[in-house]
Amino acid sequence: MDSQCPAPFPAGFADTVRSQFPLLQQNPDLVYLDSAASSQKPQYVLDTEQAFYTSSYANVHRGSYALASAATEAFENARTAVAAFLNVASDEIVFTRGTTEAINLVAHSWGSTLRPGDEILVSTLEHHANIVPWQLLAQRSGAVIRPIPLDQAGQIDLAAFHSLLGPRTRLLAITQAANATGTRPPLAAMIAAAHAAGALVLVDGAQGVAHGKPDLAALGADFYAFSGHKLFGPTGIGVLFGRRDLLAHMPPWQGGGEMIASVSFAGSSFAAPPQRFEAGTPPIAQAVGLAAALRWLGTLDADALAAHEAFLHSRLEHGLQQLRGVRILAGNTPRAPITALHFDKAHAFDVAQLLDARQIAVRVGQHCAQPLLAHFGISSSLRISLAAYNTPDDVDRCLAALDETLDILA
Amino acid sequence: MNDAFPDHPFGTRISRDELTGRLAHATGWEAKNRLLVQLGRDLPDWPADARTDDRLVSGCESRVWLAISRQGSTFALSADSDSRIIKGLLALVLTAFHGRSANEIATFDLEHWIGELGLLRFLSASRGNGLRAIVLKIREIASIQQ
Ligand SMILES: Cc1ncc(COP(=O)(O)O)c(C=O)c1O
Repeated sequence: MDSQCPAPFPAGFADTVRSQFPLLQQNPDLVYLDSAASSQKPQYVLDTEQAFYTSSYANVHRGSYALASAATEAFENARTAVAAFLNVASDEIVFTRGTTEAINLVAHSWGSTLRPGDEILVSTLEHHANIVPWQLLAQRSGAVIRPIPLDQAGQIDLAAFHSLLGPRTRLLAITQAANATGTRPPLAAMIAAAHAAGALVLVDGAQGVAHGKPDLAALGADFYAFSGHKLFGPTGIGVLFGRRDLLAHMPPWQGGGEMIASVSFAGSSFAAPPQRFEAGTPPIAQAVGLAAALRWLGTLDADALAAHEAFLHSRLEHGLQQLRGVRILAGNTPRAPITALHFDKAHAFDVAQLLDARQIAVRVGQHCAQPLLAHFGISSSLRISLAAYNTPDDVDRCLAALDETLDILA
Repeated sequence: MNDAFPDHPFGTRISRDELTGRLAHATGWEAKNRLLVQLGRDLPDWPADARTDDRLVSGCESRVWLAISRQGSTFALSADSDSRIIKGLLALVLTAFHGRSANEIATFDLEHWIGELGLLRFLSASRGNGLRAIVLKIREIASIQQ
């Protein structure tokens, strides 16, 4: 790298973080640049989940014995930890399988009140998980999806957004950061405008959550969804935050154990939120693991983490600008530490293959965001995503390999 | 093969044995990928107007076009892709199947050969679907048209 690059800040941060990730320790030559798909797991999360299984494991909310109480307490403590992390109340936290299930829950439960002609605004930045559930809801209810277009730069077209808001707008579905480009839309302004129009807002936090603690009380979102696995936590656990007064009036979407107050064949009455939305045995150990991931994140200095990510991202993009025939998608929009590339003379798949041969793991394809790639007029791109454990060396090896790869393919 | 598709050397001037030998020499994943890029270069691009949607094979990570026509008792194959490495894999597929009979196409164990070449990773769960889809399509067309 040349001298224009800022110095790593703070020195040694990444090495300290990295040393806590066993997969990275066992694969010292691996350059893992696909954390936007899923992050690696720190030892502490693995140990906590293991310890829970070996010392406190039983089903929750059922047994009258001590072990079941311990398990229930650990599970509910996880809920409290998530609530504290998001700066909301515990009974506003529903555990789900992930972001996808959280959004589907809202589409089924809250969505059951929609009428024909009601409108749902869905941005072009969205992952399919924040598009398809609304399309299915539109088919069931007769509601209409209104796509929010992007401007030339790849950012939300705010003027178009304002003109789409109207008396029939019931919901704005918007990401905190686009998984395919990293673009962060102007959330505060959009939420305020949607609320002023009488609509609710669901924020897809799957990408945003990993790059800074979200303050939902300040953000003002009505629903917020994220997945544990992108936040250094286990797979199979996700979170839906819903405003208490909204959840209170929402019907269940799946039936089963845990979500009822009483059952008879004459009819059943349902438990209060959040249990009303957690039918069946929940992902108990995964919730405990997620709480561990949040505790682990809490041990990192938030400012240092943000500075580290920003440093790596600018080092990467500075280096990419020296390469010929490489275009950064939405490069002029504010972004999470994600860089999506399009190559003038090479196919993203080929580049990713040759990077893989050098143990550099990146994502190639449509990133479950076909409308967004269609906006850029391309059918596939290569995505590099950064996390706390990446190092300047990771970035430099990726840049050097890209340079050679583009030569091979030229 | 009709005139829309450029002539290619795979399965005629370049044989399976030759490719088996060249890939055996390419040790390591990087070298094998480089060789695939090279083979991809030796497979001529189709003219743009031949790349029609009805020739697209779905289920691939890049776009793949395939054309098969019967010529007497054998089949002529041509293929193209916007990815160089996939074109290299297509060159292997053509080498195995171009100019062969329906029976030979049905019975040749391409997956096994790909394994011998050290390219099994292209048949793995996430990447393999594309190559598998191509082979299935060839076998299906050859069996219907036989
Ligand atoms: C922005 C965004 N939303 C939703 C999802 C879906 O998350 P999950 O597969 O964990 O449900 C993802 C995952 O890639 C994402 O990046």
